[in-house]
Formats: sequence, structure tokens, C-alpha cells
Amino acid sequence: MGILEGKTAFVTGGTGGIGSAICRRFIKEGADVVAADLSENGTATRFIKYDVTSEDVAKGTFEELAKGWNKLDILVNAAGIEIEKTIEETSLEEWNQSFAVNVTGTFLTSKYALPLLRKSAGASIINFGSYDGFIADPGLAVYCATKGAVHALTKAMACDHGPEGIRVNAICPGYVDTPMLQSFFTGEGSGGDGKSLNDLQQAVRDVHPMRTYGTPDDIANLVNWLASDEARYASGQLWVIDGGLSAQVQQMKL
Amino acid sequence: MTRLENKTAVVTGGRQGIGRAIVDAFVREGAKVLTCGRGSRPGDLPSDVIWQQTDVAKKSDIEDLLSMARAKLGAISILVNNAGVQIEKTVLDTTDEDWDILMGANAKGLFMACRTFIPNMSLGGSIINIGSISGNTADPGLALYNASKAFVHGLTKSIAVDHGPAIRCNAICPGWIMTGMADAAFEMANNPDAAKLDAVARHPAGRFGQPSDIAAMAVWLASDEATFATGQLFTIDGGMTAASPLNPGLF
Repeated sequence: MGILEGKTAFVTGGTGGIGSAICRRFIKEGADVVAADLSENGTATRFIKYDVTSEDVAKGTFEELAKGWNKLDILVNAAGIEIEKTIEETSLEEWNQSFAVNVTGTFLTSKYALPLLRKSAGASIINFGSYDGFIADPGLAVYCATKGAVHALTKAMACDHGPEGIRVNAICPGYVDTPMLQSFFTGEGSGGDGKSLNDLQQAVRDVHPMRTYGTPDDIANLVNWLASDEARYASGQLWVIDGGLSAQVQQMKL
Repeated sequence: MTRLENKTAVVTGGRQGIGRAIVDAFVREGAKVLTCGRGSRPGDLPSDVIWQQTDVAKKSDIEDLLSMARAKLGAISILVNNAGVQIEKTVLDTTDEDWDILMGANAKGLFMACRTFIPNMSLGGSIINIGSISGNTADPGLALYNASKAFVHGLTKSIAVDHGPAIRCNAICPGWIMTGMADAAFEMANNPDAAKLDAVARHPAGRFGQPSDIAAMAVWLASDEATFATGQLFTIDGGMTAASPLNPGLF
């Protein structure tokens, strides 16, 4: 018997690299899962077309969900975008779009999910921060800023909704093998010099104490625990999972 | 569901409180467990758990603990450094003897256990140290205890960096967990009952923690689900340190 048996789950970014791994794991653990995303991408579960930046979409989606579900136990705000630029290169439109998806999206989805979450016997919201919300990667200015905002929002939501029985945590992944990471290495600031992740694999691995970067399943393992009742006392926290990367000071090449 | 099948674990300070909850959870998840404490074997310890009388502050006791572990468990896959003492004093009140007792167990004992056990752990082994939220932000009147936990946090990261990828090392930072140690801290308040009510009000979870809350995290960190988790401090405190101490509801 899975540890999420009898639970319902709504995952934004549910067809993305990490989101789809979370959906697969939730299904395996017995949850009833909705993958919400802009486009369907061969998900193994119920798909809802969902734009996290639209208040009308969030409102309408949860009104519709409430007709079939009498409670929501798990909300994962995994939708996110990354722009590989410094602030000087970032246009106002790009800045606003990043905040719209990464921060406003988390706000809107959580806001309209609250009525259903309150009906759960032990609800868990899992936001997506990043180790970039603590220490910056070069050339990711607006991304780092959005993740710092998600971290603070996570603590604020935990304070406000803890008394209602809703736990709120954020997962802060390090380097995880996803299309987003591939894209990061094409950015100028990464120091990748136009090389793909494939070419840079060993160098990226070597900077990690575990000598590897993560997989979406590594992240899904922790999301799964935080979603489960075993984590019933865990709230308001930022959970860094990065193969030990941020435990180190800068690894200088002298 | 047994997530620690075929794993072997050494848990220090397993007589009571958090240590005992971890021992019980590990047994439930299928691990073979050796635990220890300064006294004799507790009467209610499950018969399949091995007990060794140990003072972690004594080098020879740690070496004996390793011998027992190797004889009874073989290669060791999990080490939980939970044994610790708390002395409720400021720096000015703390004697040299207090230092030896507290740092001897919480800092030197933990260091000696890591040094002794790391070469005898199986590949992919997991060390779980018990730190504290007090190692990040100080609790009043617990000077050396706070400092000893900051030591634990620092050593945790060092071991992760130096001994990965063979070994993972993480710390759990419990908040207010209802054990004898927490009661002793409340006894220092002018009005212990009022202090307790105030403390509960500062927890978004609306309650203090139980040893089983910490054991649940220890099981996950010990399991193969956590193979990418290393070098980190995992706080479990019912949301307490997420809240500002200037909580308007409490004035």
C-alpha cells in the first residue's frame, strides 16, 4: 500500500521534467493525481490545461475540481521558467513574465486551492524554491530573485495557514538533469561556453560532493515524503536537496 | 513497507526520547539495530535490539562499541549520533567541568564516533547527526549546548564534503520536542506553565513535536530514497523558526 493512498494531488508544471516525475511517483503511492500544465506531454494521469499566470484559469479550475473532489490533500507548485540573463540583459517583459509564472503562479494556485485544502485532514503545499534562492548562479538574476520570493512566501503561508492544518514547505533543488538545466548551460553566464551538458558532465559532477547531479526522481523522493503524513510536523521549511553542492564554500581552481 | 531492509544501524543515546524513537522506527523498517547509553540495558528494549553500555565521551567505549557492531552487525550502513547532554547555564555560570561533560559528549563524542565508524561503514552509508535549531539561533541560558550544536552542524558539512560519495552525512535540527530536555528548559522560566502556552502559540503546527516526528525524518535520511541528500541540516520544528519572534498575536 502506497503512502499517499486516498489522497488527492494537484501538480502544476505537471508535464515538465521534475513535475512529471512527481506525478508518476504520486500515482505509484496511490494518490489521485491531476497534472496541470500548458501542454499535454504523454502524462500517465489526468491532464488539465492550466496557465498559472491567469487568475480566471485558477479560479475556474478549482471551482470545476470541487465538483469531483471533496478535498485536496496535496498541492505542488512546480511550474517555473528560467531566463539565462543578467539584469542588464533582462527586458521588463521578461522580468514580469518570470515573476508571473514562478511567484504569481504559486500565489494564485495556492489562493484558489485553499478552500479544498482546508477540507483535507492534513494538507500539504509544496512550493518550488531553489538553492539559487540562497546563493546565486551567474546569469540567472530574475530566476534567483523569483526563488528568493518563493522562499519567503513559503514561510509566510506556513505561518498563516498552519493553524488551519495546512503545512507549507519548499523544495530547493540544486542541479537536476532536466531540459531547464540543459538550457542553463547554453546561457552565457554559466561558463559553459556554448557546450552542452553532455560535454560538461564530468566537470559538473566533480563540483558535487556526491560526484553527480540529481535526477527528477531524487526530487520526487523528497516531495513524496513532504506530501505524506510522515511529514506531519514539517512546515515552513526550505528543503535543499543538491547532492551536497551548497554545503561547500566556493571550490577555487588555484 | 520496510525501507531499511538489509541495513544495519548504530544509534547512540537510545535509552529514551528521540534516540529511542529512532531505534523503534529503524526496527519497524527492517534494520538490524545496535544502540547504547551510559546505563544498563533498558527493560523495555525489544529483544532483537543489541545494547552496549557506552559513554560516548570515552574513546575506549567508542572503540568497544565498534567491536560490538562489527561482531554483531558486520558492515555498518547507518550511524545516528544522537547521544547528547544539555546544561542550562550561561557562559559566566559554566565551569570547566561543565565544559568537559557537555563538549565531551556532544562535540568530542560525536567526532570520535564518526572517526571510528567511517572506515567501517558500507558504501552508500548514511550518518545522521542530531543538531538543533539552537545551533543556528541561540536559546537563552543554554550557551554551551547551543555552541555544541553549531559544532555538529559544521562537522556534518565537513564529513559530507570529505567523505562523499562513499558516505552521506546530514543533520536533523529538531525544534521543541517533548522530552526530558525540553521540560528542564521550561523549569527555568519564571512561570513554566505560561512559558509553555506561549511556546505552543509560536508553533504554526499548534503543538510541540514528538520524538516520532524526528524518527520519521531519520528513517528517510537513512533510506535509499535519500541518496542525493547530503551535507544538509534538516529542520523539523512545526514551523517555529519560520515565524518572526515578533509575533503580534503574542503581545
